[in-house]
Amino acid sequence: MNASLMTLELCVLALGVVLLLADFWMPAERKKYLAYAAIAALAGLLLISFSGQGVCSLGGSAFHGAFANDALAVFFKRFFLLAAILVLFIAAEFSGRIAAGISEFYSLIVFALAGMLFAASANDFAMLFVSIELITITFYVLVSFQRGKLQSLEAGVKYLILGALSSAFMVFGIALIWGTTGELNFTKLAAVAPQFVGSQIFLLGVLLVLVGLGFKIAAFPFQIWAPDVYQGAPTPTTAFLAIGSKAAGFVLLLRVLFTAVPSVMHTPAFTNLLIIISGITILYGNLCALPQRNLKRLLGYSSIAHAGYLLLGVAALSANGQAAVLYYLAGYLFTVLAAFAVIAIVLQNVENEDISGLAGLNQRSPLLAATMTLAMVSLAGIPPLAGFFGKFLLLKAVLEQGATYHGYYCLAFTALVGVVISLYYYFNVVRALYWSKEPADLSPIELSSPAKFFIWVCIAGIFWLGIYPSTVLDPALAVAKSLGL
Amino acid sequence: MHVGLEHYLTVSFLLFALGLLGVILRRNLIVMYMSLELMLNAANLALVSFSRFNNKLDGQVLVFFIITVAAAEVAVGLALIVALYRKRQSAHVEDLTSMKL
Repeated sequence: MNASLMTLELCVLALGVVLLLADFWMPAERKKYLAYAAIAALAGLLLISFSGQGVCSLGGSAFHGAFANDALAVFFKRFFLLAAILVLFIAAEFSGRIAAGISEFYSLIVFALAGMLFAASANDFAMLFVSIELITITFYVLVSFQRGKLQSLEAGVKYLILGALSSAFMVFGIALIWGTTGELNFTKLAAVAPQFVGSQIFLLGVLLVLVGLGFKIAAFPFQIWAPDVYQGAPTPTTAFLAIGSKAAGFVLLLRVLFTAVPSVMHTPAFTNLLIIISGITILYGNLCALPQRNLKRLLGYSSIAHAGYLLLGVAALSANGQAAVLYYLAGYLFTVLAAFAVIAIVLQNVENEDISGLAGLNQRSPLLAATMTLAMVSLAGIPPLAGFFGKFLLLKAVLEQGATYHGYYCLAFTALVGVVISLYYYFNVVRALYWSKEPADLSPIELSSPAKFFIWVCIAGIFWLGIYPSTVLDPALAVAKSLGL
Repeated sequence: MHVGLEHYLTVSFLLFALGLLGVILRRNLIVMYMSLELMLNAANLALVSFSRFNNKLDGQVLVFFIITVAAAEVAVGLALIVALYRKRQSAHVEDLTSMKL
């Protein structure tokens, strides 16, 4: 047993506690700057983990194999650290609208990050359950943090009921899997699972666990919560839900599918199930996004569609497919956080965050207008940005499998239809930026220097991933190969 | 009559189904939340009985984790429902309508 593998997680937890304690001594008007202290600390941890040496990038497993620090875990830990750093920038910009307890808000973001880091390393059903609940329960509070706002509370209650329902399903699934096989550890389960592929109770258990994970990634038919929660939650929380919580769902999905139950996954019925869920999720998200006027709700539906695109790669069940999933998540990180940052800054005083609130942004702040355009164009999948290359890789992975099973061709066609539909609503947003009639407010928007830095990081990320994809794709392929594909 | 594993599992499935029905059919948030706890406890019962009949302790340890997490969830959840009640003077799901298409 090697508990020093958890150094990174323990550091992040300690940071959360320090932020809570700092609240006692910090004068009220300076509390919003705690975010920058947290950003500095997390950036330090990220740099240490990239340096390739020291305790934060050790390989191996601890606690009888329940905690694994392999290639997949390390990739996602860096991803989550980066996501939390960028979300804290948005939170600092947003701090004026949080009536009380801004340092609790920051520390809850850090605690959710700790849950995601544990999830990245989870190699055991007990670990999976506890880490996913750490994320979800923290998000109940984060979603309803604007207590004075009815929408925020409603979003919190909806997330609470549906989240608790999905975790009840997941716990029951874990009980059935453990009852039939007698193993909680993923690696040991993989060894005994082939004898249980015929057992109905075991398959039901796997299915129920996948229900819980499907809720986290907002895949059809467990997506009902997403639009309301995205709309009602404070913008930094929405941003963290869109990227952190979804990526945590995907890392656990990859882990369960490829480490714990590879024998179940390769049955034709299961492949069909993945293909159908992926296709319906893409169509549902894109079609429902069409009539939306609220920008956050629109991005909520768009995030459902993106969960569908990501499932394309999972459904391909190949190394290329999983590498494409990791690459797509990296591109999605910069794109979606750039979009939410613009929403947090521009729509401060607009009731209901309607798209029309973006009118005249190209005159008010050309930089923000350009950022929003880039984000929408990348989400729609136009070359040469990150979103295009990600979709290209996902489709390529699916088409490669088409020779073995023709259902994959139908799936690729569905995804293309989804992309074409999505062009309409993404360009609707761009049109509001540049070609809207009679903008009501033309006062220029002053950007704080951290916000400018944040915007430039996101723009650089979107272009860098699109132009030099191999910098992320090569490590992603190595990770996918380490999953045994 | 000898009470075996299948009897415990039947009770557990019944409890789970009752909880699910409660969440779907009841309209009061507190009652829905109680039904959710019932579902979690159905899973706990299944884990403990598997543990007893397979002579392995992992399941009982997992139950402790589940009880702890459920307690945290209830603490946050009830606080949220109370906050909503103060704002809206109602704990019915039909009143959660401030966000529509």
